[in-house]
Amino acid sequence: MSHARVSMYLPPDINPAQASIAYGCRALPKLNEELQSEDLLTRQKALMALCDLMHDPEHVYAAIDIGCLESLKALLKDNNDMVRIKATEVLSIMATHNVGREGFLKHDVILALAYLLNDPQSACREKLHLALKHVAQLPSGAQGIVNSGLIPSLVWKLQREEEEIQGLLLDTLAACLLEDPTEALSNRVVPFLKQKLLSTNDDIRSKAACMLTVVSIPLEGKNQVWQHDVIPILVHLLKDKMEEVQANAAGALMYATMTTQGKYAALDAEAIHPLLNLLCSSLSKARLNATKALTMLAETPEGRKFLRSHVPVFRTLEEDTSEAVRRAARTAIKVIEWKP
Amino acid sequence: VASRLSGRTSPAMGTYTYTSRPRALPCQRRRYRDSLTQPAEEPIHYGNIMYDRRVIRGNTYAVQTGPLPGQPDPIEIQRQQQAKRRALARKRAQEQLRPRTPEPVEGRKHVDVQTEIYLEEIADRIIEVDMECQTDAFLDRPPTPLFIPAKTGKDVATQILEGELFDFDLEVKPMLEVLVGKTIEQSLLEVMEEEELANLRATQYAYEELRNVELAEVQRLEEQERRHREEKERRKQQQWEVVYKHNETSQKVAARVFAQRYLADLLPSVFGSLRDGGYFFDPIERDIEIGFLPWLMNEVDKTMEYNMVGRTVLDMLIREVVEKRLAMYEHKEDQPPFVQSEDGFSGPRAMRESLMGDEFHEQSASQSQRVLQARDSLQRTPSNRRYMENVSSQERKLTEEEDDEQTERNISGRELL
Repeated sequence: MSHARVSMYLPPDINPAQASIAYGCRALPKLNEELQSEDLLTRQKALMALCDLMHDPEHVYAAIDIGCLESLKALLKDNNDMVRIKATEVLSIMATHNVGREGFLKHDVILALAYLLNDPQSACREKLHLALKHVAQLPSGAQGIVNSGLIPSLVWKLQREEEEIQGLLLDTLAACLLEDPTEALSNRVVPFLKQKLLSTNDDIRSKAACMLTVVSIPLEGKNQVWQHDVIPILVHLLKDKMEEVQANAAGALMYATMTTQGKYAALDAEAIHPLLNLLCSSLSKARLNATKALTMLAETPEGRKFLRSHVPVFRTLEEDTSEAVRRAARTAIKVIEWKP
Repeated sequence: VASRLSGRTSPAMGTYTYTSRPRALPCQRRRYRDSLTQPAEEPIHYGNIMYDRRVIRGNTYAVQTGPLPGQPDPIEIQRQQQAKRRALARKRAQEQLRPRTPEPVEGRKHVDVQTEIYLEEIADRIIEVDMECQTDAFLDRPPTPLFIPAKTGKDVATQILEGELFDFDLEVKPMLEVLVGKTIEQSLLEVMEEEELANLRATQYAYEELRNVELAEVQRLEEQERRHREEKERRKQQQWEVVYKHNETSQKVAARVFAQRYLADLLPSVFGSLRDGGYFFDPIERDIEIGFLPWLMNEVDKTMEYNMVGRTVLDMLIREVVEKRLAMYEHKEDQPPFVQSEDGFSGPRAMRESLMGDEFHEQSASQSQRVLQARDSLQRTPSNRRYMENVSSQERKLTEEEDDEQTERNISGRELL
């Protein structure tokens, strides 16, 4: 029968793992009801469908509006692993959207997520940390994480977790420390970071160096960094083979050498030569951070004396492509040639 | 294909029947490699009659009979075979006529000799190689083949012809649309999300870079400012102390100089006052002063007193004498009034009177005054002028001596004080 007639039978179930999504605006309320159902299979299928839908920001907004977050929070405490994994995945996808993040803050999802910090499933924890990392990108989100008192447990987790999760944790903590560094500093974050700097994973090293940069911004952090002798390790990292690690280490040094003790510690660790090498790096961030770090070191008389012979290098940097590097090179020359 | 054509053209071509219908021949050449997923709509390449080698083109009255390079002509084959046979026969004939080497001479024999560099062993023995062959070991009896009994019953066949069930293309369209559409939609969403995130991350990265650098600059300037301020404070402190010390020292120096100057006179003045106070004394002088001079003064006093007493006695004597004389004169004068040359004496007398008057004021009431008065009255007598002058000179001396006495008494009184 070669008729263009629609068949009377419904099309076959192509994806049995997903619940069928209703048409138009009925999709999300129906899924919400299914999330609260007693049947495990229904819940799982609804979660899979929700995962797909949450990539659209409009759906995220609608979902939060009808209160999906409450049902999701209840599901976080479910016994079934799959349900928990999928629920955290949905939450992490929602957290990539700004609407989702604000919804998190309003509905206290962060506290609910904190229950799962010790979950036995690593996939669950990974998604959880991914969600926290996205929340931390927002300043108010970072503040929310700090307020919920998660920082000590997160710092503690830095020691115990696996490597990918450690990377996510470092990102989260870096963003949180920008808001409120006191709690983390009092929880011995600097010794932990010192260990991470020597890790074999490139990514972890680079993120640990980035986090040290953030730690060294407040004065307390700078003092702790100097006390725990992190500066020689940072100088060693300047010669690392990964450019990203070098750039981040230079950034951390730039902040840590702001105090006089830091400056002299860096000079003792022979920081000037590697920094001069970094000035020719291809990454603009590396050049920028190295210039700034050398500016800091040039404020000491010994540093100034040494760098006076290297002023031509800075002059070539003045014609760099990036505006920030040019400005930094000018300040550096000004500082080096300053006479008291 | 045939059925399709028949389906299409059956109403038009109803007059002929064919065992094989005329059809356009597909080209045998395959353009592309056979791919596993042959799409259904690949067009079938039909051969073009114009380019077909089998079709004779051109003029037909002068056919080229040349054999095709791929296809041998049978006549040609036959001719070649005959030629071959003839060649063989010719060769055989020539073999018999071929000259051979002459027979060997009596007593000699032809021997074959090797003339190559390396001699070769020629053996009559034929190289033999042993070959063996054996049948396989006894095999097991192969399994009996499956017994399929002969077919009984009636065969029924059915054939689904084109277009009987459903048209796949039409039916599948909506499903496909939904499937593909949903998948693409979902994937587009996810890809857009990832792209957005990547873009955000990139801008965030750049922003963080700039922010870190700016923050570092700000903190460095702050630090510099703080250090400079502290340095300034310290230097100010130092300067203050220096100035303070300076002041103090100058004050001390000034005070010291002043004290020195003030006290410079002290010593001499002390010494002076001490000396004045009589604390430094020459013992001899002292001795003289204490011992000798009072005694001397006493002696002088005594002498003076003797003198005075003597004088007083003398005065008394004189007075008596003068009184007596006066009484005598008065006796005498009662009779003659004496001529007084008062004019000549008025002047000096006035002077003397004034002098005496002064002296009266000055001197204490003593007998000498009265004596003088008496003398004054006596002065009128010119005969006594010289005597009066003497007396007056004596009086003057007396007064001088009295003065001296008085002064000496004063001095001695002061000294005794």
